[in-house]
Amino acid sequence: MKLKHYLKLFNISKIDFSKKIGVSNVSLSRYISGERFPERKVLSKIYQSTNGLVDANDFYLEGIPNYELNDQQKAELNNMINSLRKGKLKFIAKAITLIESSLKLHKLQASFLLSKLKDKNDSLRIGITGVPGVGKSTFIETFGMTLIDLGYKVAVLAIDPSSKRSGGSILGDKTRMMRLSVNKNAYIRPSPSQGHLGGVAKKTRDSIRCLEEAGYNIIFIETMGVGQAETTVYDMVDIFLVLLLPSGGDELQGIKKGIIEIADLIIINKADGSLKSTAEITMSEYKNAQTMISKSRKDILPQVFQCSSTENTGINKILSFVKKFEETRKKSGSFYQTRSEQQIKALWSDITLETQEFIENDLRSKEFVKKIIKDVEKNKFDVNNASKIILDYIVKK
Amino acid sequence: MNKIKGYNNWKELASKELKDKSLNDHYWETPEGIKVKPLYTEEDLKNLNHQIGLPGLPPFTRGPRATMYTNRPWTIRQYAGFSTAEESNRFYKEGLKNGVMGLSVAFDLATHRGYDSDHPRVVADVGNAGVAIDSIEDMNLLFDGIPLDQMSVSMTMNGAVIPVLASFIASGEEQGCPREKLTGTIQNDILKEFMVRNTFIFPPKPSMRIVADIIEYTSKHMPRFNSISISGYHMQEAGANQVQELAYTLADGKEYIKSALERGLNIDEFAPRLSFFWSIGMNFFMEIAKMRASRYMWAEIVKEFKPKNNKSLALRTHCQTSGVSLMEQDAYNNIVRTTIEAMAAIMGGTQSLHTNSFDEALALPTNFSARIARNTQLILSEETGICNVIDPLAGSYYVESLTSSIVQESKKLIQEIDEVGGMVKAIEMGIPKMRIEESSAKRQARIDSNEETIVGVNKYKPTEKQEINILSIDNEEVRERQVSRLQKLKKSRDNKNVENFIEKIKNVAGQKGNLLEVCIEASKNRCTVGEMTSAMESVFGRHNLSTKTISGVYKNSVKNDGKIDVIDRELDKFIKNKGRRPRMLVVKMGQDGHDRGAKLIATAFSDLGFDVDIGPLFQTPEEAAKQAVENDAHVIGVSTLAAGHKTLVPLLMESLKNNEANEIKVICGGVIPPDDYPFLYKLGVAKVFGPGTNIQEAAIEIINLL
Repeated sequence: MKLKHYLKLFNISKIDFSKKIGVSNVSLSRYISGERFPERKVLSKIYQSTNGLVDANDFYLEGIPNYELNDQQKAELNNMINSLRKGKLKFIAKAITLIESSLKLHKLQASFLLSKLKDKNDSLRIGITGVPGVGKSTFIETFGMTLIDLGYKVAVLAIDPSSKRSGGSILGDKTRMMRLSVNKNAYIRPSPSQGHLGGVAKKTRDSIRCLEEAGYNIIFIETMGVGQAETTVYDMVDIFLVLLLPSGGDELQGIKKGIIEIADLIIINKADGSLKSTAEITMSEYKNAQTMISKSRKDILPQVFQCSSTENTGINKILSFVKKFEETRKKSGSFYQTRSEQQIKALWSDITLETQEFIENDLRSKEFVKKIIKDVEKNKFDVNNASKIILDYIVKK
Repeated sequence: MNKIKGYNNWKELASKELKDKSLNDHYWETPEGIKVKPLYTEEDLKNLNHQIGLPGLPPFTRGPRATMYTNRPWTIRQYAGFSTAEESNRFYKEGLKNGVMGLSVAFDLATHRGYDSDHPRVVADVGNAGVAIDSIEDMNLLFDGIPLDQMSVSMTMNGAVIPVLASFIASGEEQGCPREKLTGTIQNDILKEFMVRNTFIFPPKPSMRIVADIIEYTSKHMPRFNSISISGYHMQEAGANQVQELAYTLADGKEYIKSALERGLNIDEFAPRLSFFWSIGMNFFMEIAKMRASRYMWAEIVKEFKPKNNKSLALRTHCQTSGVSLMEQDAYNNIVRTTIEAMAAIMGGTQSLHTNSFDEALALPTNFSARIARNTQLILSEETGICNVIDPLAGSYYVESLTSSIVQESKKLIQEIDEVGGMVKAIEMGIPKMRIEESSAKRQARIDSNEETIVGVNKYKPTEKQEINILSIDNEEVRERQVSRLQKLKKSRDNKNVENFIEKIKNVAGQKGNLLEVCIEASKNRCTVGEMTSAMESVFGRHNLSTKTISGVYKNSVKNDGKIDVIDRELDKFIKNKGRRPRMLVVKMGQDGHDRGAKLIATAFSDLGFDVDIGPLFQTPEEAAKQAVENDAHVIGVSTLAAGHKTLVPLLMESLKNNEANEIKVICGGVIPPDDYPFLYKLGVAKVFGPGTNIQEAAIEIINLL
């Protein structure tokens, strides 16, 4: 851990700490800024005083270029944050690009930018899922326009976290949200598929914060309805909507049982034309089933509604439920509690992600690891010892 | 086994001539999936899927009339739309003096979409790709001095079909021609608009009601007028193969019959006035076979509805030589292509024909190119002797066998449509559109990897650039003229009366009654096309198309001749530098709905490894800029086919500037006259790509631009 972060974490002033290790305040500042490298004696004092959390490596890394942003880069980012707060499209877009980028420099820039953002609690994050063709985009178009008419600013993030495709993407979301996409109070950003689920989740969470900072108070997260992606989205939103087609059980619609269980609101979409009566039946089926399902929220029951995004029917009912959901949970405090819990989950999943990435991208290619693997293969080395050596290396890192 | 005497001897001899190659290598599989053998014999005439019969008699395989061209050759009908009614009128009169026998009106995009010329969404569309018609006043100018009781008029109109046809009928009556005497055709084929051409206005259901209104009205009051021209043309233009074109068009026809019957009409009241419209491309024998197969199949389809009049079974058609077969490169070659296509249409037995002008891949035709196009038909008709014999290819082992294969293949597609419950359902599910886009991507892949030859484009490329004079239109001037005419009209008419008619139209739209009937009266009372359309729109709503896309088809069909590897390498470099893939927004601005090119670019580029955003159809430049900025695209690809680029691209550049997003590169592709290139480059456009561009080469160029 860097000394700067240690002091901040344990709330220790520079003066106190400089006294503790017996150097001047000025010297300490220079160690922190990387201007000077502490002598051996000082290093061991720091090591002891921080219970081993800050060691020589933490100072050494200061000197490596690209590890920190320079002043000009920081100024540019501050400028970007100011423009973003004013709602300038280009800068919101650039911020999300930094968040989504695979470049190390961009990642540094993104984390600097994110560190400057305030956490806002006045937004509502709405997750929406359903199989392809169920009409998610059309629903968001209709629902989003209703919210804009009520004075909200709406942002839509469309993600495809399940895709393992590594090639290019084709993103046509806005063709299904024609009115929303041209409205000045709406921001829609479809993200190209980027493979790794955990990575997409982190990027989406960070993008949400940018959009909230830019003044959007309704954030839709739209995702394709298959498998693990739903629970990932569930863990980043305040309310979770599942869209279904009239007729057909959920197996038929390719929706996993677990997803129905975590839904706050089940919507039978396309309840229009010849499907109207089928929608009615589907709705009552789900209503019956719903009473059997364990509730994911303690203070409000999940609901089943039907609507037609094309004929604009049923939207008002959905709107008033969403409002009631938000009010009830804000009043009881569970709204904020869930968000806090989500933060912690996010923290752990970030750590898991980084560790995995480290193992995949870094560790496997290390010469000594390759050698160990070879030896294990030939039974020259026993697994216990081998993993100990590698873990030791990870811990030091 | 072929039992013809001597067949085995032939086979032996042929194998000898082929040396080390096998005879089986010489089977050709067409894009439609039909296997073509190197030799056909009388054996192939057994077990045909169709009957050959005689001309003028069911099932009409050999032609809808007994005498065909021996009595009267096909009608030379040249489609043209100059920007204004006055200019078009002059062009028609010029054509009539020079052997043209029927008029064909192309409307501008604003009119197609039901907008008057003063509507803010059509700034770049007025006068482009056809004539602007805002009211009956414009119609009167269009047909000034042309006796409508003698001249057959064909109108390509689908979206705003009610107000335009109404103005035409009203204009005829003001000229002194009663509606009973009007002859000609209205395209009125809305289903294919939802499939490929996208110049629809209302959702499918009210649109089908409108079609039925027109069939009903014309069958009662306009006995000489074709109520509908069921068109495959635009499908082939959008990339459909011949079997798809045939099958989907016939399936459309079936749907129209059903909706007219639902209206309570008798099949014999309207079926004889249904007409068809094919595109004729370079696959010579396939096109002839398609036309013969179409007549046989239509007779079979209509028979199911139990007509008493044989005329109900006969398919009559108009043909146009293929527009996509025209190339910008080595453009004079297009004269030859058009000639071959025209010949196929004639051998196939068309009732009327439009031959394209060779410069139409670049711009609207000039007087010079229009004259060559006309003369192509006159030469075929009067110098070759083709007209002296009816259906000259009947009985040809190859042509009959091909006809039979087409019947078989297209029946499969029609069955697929029937199984989902008809064409309206299939369109809602996006089936035909998807199929056609797949064919289109496959064809592009074949051309890009030189498996299909296009002379002067991917083979035998010219070394020198040819200068071709083309026609350019001052769109701004046309619009100003139209707008001032509209203002004058609105001042001089009885506006109270107009409001009454608008209310009447709304009522008829909401309840029962015939929309054409009420709009004829409204036109006479000087309601504009835009006003009548928005009256209906207030009841029906405006249709929004949700764009579906395909992926993987291009990449799977293209042969890697090394270019793909170059692209992969360049992309890797790009990603290492920028942290993401190149992101391109493909946009169509203005009212031009031809999205074949845009869709093709989107699917091919994403297959090649780009991240591609697609914009909704009919965007304004401001909307396109917003989308590009929001998505943080590196580049905007503007697809333009309708000459709107001179107005739209400057506006797009300005909008980007207003968003502080000058770094987003803009490239243009489509039908852009070379004379406009400097104009676009001066604006800051990074690159202009013409028709026939190799997509992989373009991809490499674009990566290098960024």
